[in-house]
Amino acid sequence: MILRYELKKVFSKKINRIVLIGTMLAAVVFSMFAIGGVQYTDGNGTTHAGVTASRRLADDKNRWAGELTGDRIAQAVSSRKEMNSRYSYDVPDEEYGKTVQAYSDIIYFVIDVLTPDTGWDENVLYQLEDEQAEDLYSIYRENQQKMAEEYGKTPRQRQFLKEQYDKIDLPLTYEAKDSWDTLMVYVETYGMILAIVIGFLAAGVFVEEFRVRADAVFFASRYGRTKAAGSKVLAGLLIATIIYWTGMGILLLISLGVMGISGGGTLYQIDFPYSIYVMTYGQYCMLAVLGGYIASLLSASVTMLIAAKMRSANVAVCVPFFLFCVMQFIARALSDFLTFFKFTPDMLVNVIGCAKAPNIFQAGNLVFRQIPCVMLVYSALAVILLPFAYKSYHCYNLK
Amino acid sequence: MVGRNILMELELRNVSKEFDGVSAVSGVSVTMRKGVYGLLGVNGAGKTTLMRMLCTLIRPTAGEILWEGSDILEMGADYRDILGYLPQDFGYYPDLSVTDYMMYIASIKGIRPGAARKRTGQLLRQVGMEKYEKRKMKTLSGGMARRVGIAQAMLNNPKVLVLDEPTAGLDPNERIRFRNLISELAEDRLVLLSTHIVSDVEFIANRIMLMKSGKVFYQGTTEKLLSSMDESVWHCTVPKREVNDLVRRYLVGNVKSAPGGAELRILAKEPPAEQAVREEATLEDAFLLYFGEKVGGTDDTEI
Repeated sequence: MILRYELKKVFSKKINRIVLIGTMLAAVVFSMFAIGGVQYTDGNGTTHAGVTASRRLADDKNRWAGELTGDRIAQAVSSRKEMNSRYSYDVPDEEYGKTVQAYSDIIYFVIDVLTPDTGWDENVLYQLEDEQAEDLYSIYRENQQKMAEEYGKTPRQRQFLKEQYDKIDLPLTYEAKDSWDTLMVYVETYGMILAIVIGFLAAGVFVEEFRVRADAVFFASRYGRTKAAGSKVLAGLLIATIIYWTGMGILLLISLGVMGISGGGTLYQIDFPYSIYVMTYGQYCMLAVLGGYIASLLSASVTMLIAAKMRSANVAVCVPFFLFCVMQFIARALSDFLTFFKFTPDMLVNVIGCAKAPNIFQAGNLVFRQIPCVMLVYSALAVILLPFAYKSYHCYNLK
Repeated sequence: MVGRNILMELELRNVSKEFDGVSAVSGVSVTMRKGVYGLLGVNGAGKTTLMRMLCTLIRPTAGEILWEGSDILEMGADYRDILGYLPQDFGYYPDLSVTDYMMYIASIKGIRPGAARKRTGQLLRQVGMEKYEKRKMKTLSGGMARRVGIAQAMLNNPKVLVLDEPTAGLDPNERIRFRNLISELAEDRLVLLSTHIVSDVEFIANRIMLMKSGKVFYQGTTEKLLSSMDESVWHCTVPKREVNDLVRRYLVGNVKSAPGGAELRILAKEPPAEQAVREEATLEDAFLLYFGEKVGGTDDTEI
């Protein structure tokens, strides 16, 4: 019963309701942005955006759906080379809509495979022989070994990278994944907004008594220094969980509901062949969602601790903004401390950036990747901070 | 267990509290049992600090507070289970309804939902707030909020009820109502009522404690207090030009304009004026004598 009323206290406040409604509306707006972010070119060369565009694009691209064998890769490369010889670099929109758009992901994959550690260079495609295109996976495997050698600083790291690459099942299976790809940017941005909003709401849980001067009655009550203080911690976590999953649920439901879930099973390597995270687009999206959730829990824990210590929410509510937003800009400014900024909390809402880079670290014999490490550390920290928030609150004035 | 309940004794042993080296309460030793205790003192006497220690909100710098022989801080939740507290600066959650507020306080007092609902209904009826149970707390007047305040303090049917300046800021009607309510609720429990308004205590307290500069320097009945006064109370009417002189020389309670001069209530060993008539002393006179100043607001003496 304490928990129920603790939540009621938070959600009965007008400012909190306004913030909450605003946050939920933002989920709808972000969904609209995601939906509007996909463009489809039809056979007449007309470009469409909006509600039907992503599904039409998926239908078009899914003509190439299925196992991406060497023959099919060669077929796509051959077609693209023919287009290039016919139109040079400037393929007309009609032709793009009729043919090129459908296999564009495959072409990008080929170029990415051929340029593992150099900049994007489309010319490599046109220099590729038919036999080489058919045997692209051999080049891919060779380059994986090279990447492992280049990015692995120790034998253990090299072995680790090779093990990750070995997990990639070849040939890849292809399905249009544009809805997931577009959604990711909004999942991360919205996740960051949710973490900041959750921090704002959770901070209030521990300062409401002091703000309205109800602390005397609270602490003079039977459970004021025990269960009721514990319920505040629980309320903060529940607020984080309910708001996060409701907001994110709205964003995912509307976006995927409209754009479709085609490509959820496509490997992320179709876009980033040398990524050390072997996962499907569905898993990639869930990883970003999970990162946002951990960020929200951390935000709730940190703000509750600061609020409980300071008896004021003023500083506490600014901290999540600093951790998840300002930190990104500081990292860009202080490039000498790159390694440090690979472990800062803003990485939780930057899964897109982390997944691309082959960042691995070693402690003793243990080699680990950036995303699992960041997620594990901050999940643990979110939990570890809670008893401190409880402790500094429940013995208020009695030390 | 029954024996312990009958004992119902709250004992303060040489309790002191300092804030940054400044003494707020100094060496207070008092034993209280069932009944209503009035804690009187001017503002800043240390009443609120003493009460906050009694409610385990702050820890004494020295000394101990015992409930039926056990230290209240060590008893923790067990002591707070028998405690009801209405603070001087009664704060509440403005956006909760009266019922929700009561239910929340009931929950942190460990009362089960069914019993809490029943008790909330009873208490809101008793304090005359049943009509407003759905109103948000922030829409209540000061008097109404205080009535809810006393209701929350009573939710767990406390053995120790601590009321810190419960009538401060209330209009005369609300104060009378509040005093009656406290008298009603005082049965079978220890009530400690702190105030600087003498008339509140005069009506409802069985025993009185006088506090000044952090020390309790008197405890006993009103009668004993009045009989121990070494000055008498005199009523006289004097020409207006003599008023200032009398005010300078004596402790003067009331000064009231009257035809041909002013009526004065004076504390003195001997008649301060020729026509002065001795009157029976009241608690207000005692307050004037011991604290050397007139008490409360102007409405205090008019009730």
